[in-house]
Amino acid sequence: MTDWLLLHYKLPSKPSALRVYAWRKLKRLGAILLHEAVWVLPDQPRTAEQFQWLAAEIQEMGGQVHYWKANPVLGEQDESIIQQFNQQVDAVYSDLLKKIDKPRADLQEISVQYQQAASQDFFHSQLGILVREKLTSKRGEKP
Amino acid sequence: MKWVTWENIGVDRMACIWLIRRWIDPKAEFIFVPAGTKPLPNAEPFDIPGARYSHQHGHCTFYTLLKENNVNDPILTRIANIIDEADIVQEINVEPAATGLDLICRGLRRISTNDQEAHERGHLVYEALYAELSNNEG
Repeated sequence: MTDWLLLHYKLPSKPSALRVYAWRKLKRLGAILLHEAVWVLPDQPRTAEQFQWLAAEIQEMGGQVHYWKANPVLGEQDESIIQQFNQQVDAVYSDLLKKIDKPRADLQEISVQYQQAASQDFFHSQLGILVREKLTSKRGEKP
Repeated sequence: MKWVTWENIGVDRMACIWLIRRWIDPKAEFIFVPAGTKPLPNAEPFDIPGARYSHQHGHCTFYTLLKENNVNDPILTRIANIIDEADIVQEINVEPAATGLDLICRGLRRISTNDQEAHERGHLVYEALYAELSNNEG
């Protein structure tokens, strides 16, 4: 069973920049928005800290925030959420796999995108391992 | 002065403690309390949500400590940038050392029996980082 972090917040509608700021930060963390209501991350030391600071920031911006640690009562709920997290990173990974094999692929750019996706890969997607292997095998290859 | 923070220090707070001891309050005494503990009387809280010395305007607590105490040292500003990237999710990253530093500090806490021991060990990491960055700048 996985423990989860849940974040729910409300920010003033103006200025809209604040809402955009919070939303972008949540996307960057790799959080998932469940039913347009609650943001979810798996409970890990790093994610817990990130949510903690974001909650403080939302309060600083004049918003209201609730932040919980939770575990699902129904076991199969875990699976479907984990699947959503995996789908999120797999979308990026499969895109990178296509790019890697193109002639004159920008491998440096691809490695940066890989690292970003990997920082959100909480459940160790198989596709991520594949991207990593492909990238490292390209090292030292003559163009 | 007494300083208080929550238990289980990592990259930002190891750096803060190093900074406080070296530049701000050489006689500082550090207290580590469980997360969520109410503020202690006669102790300056740091890296606790809502405290004066905490994350501010998207920067780490180390950065806030530098600003609030008017410590002006380009090497320390550089270290603040590294910790900003290590401790806070950023869209733009220019310090490759950040990820490694974060891992090392987490690992140091893991192999230490308590936060006191962890920050003593972290001290050496930041001494080393400061020395190397100074050498590069020169």
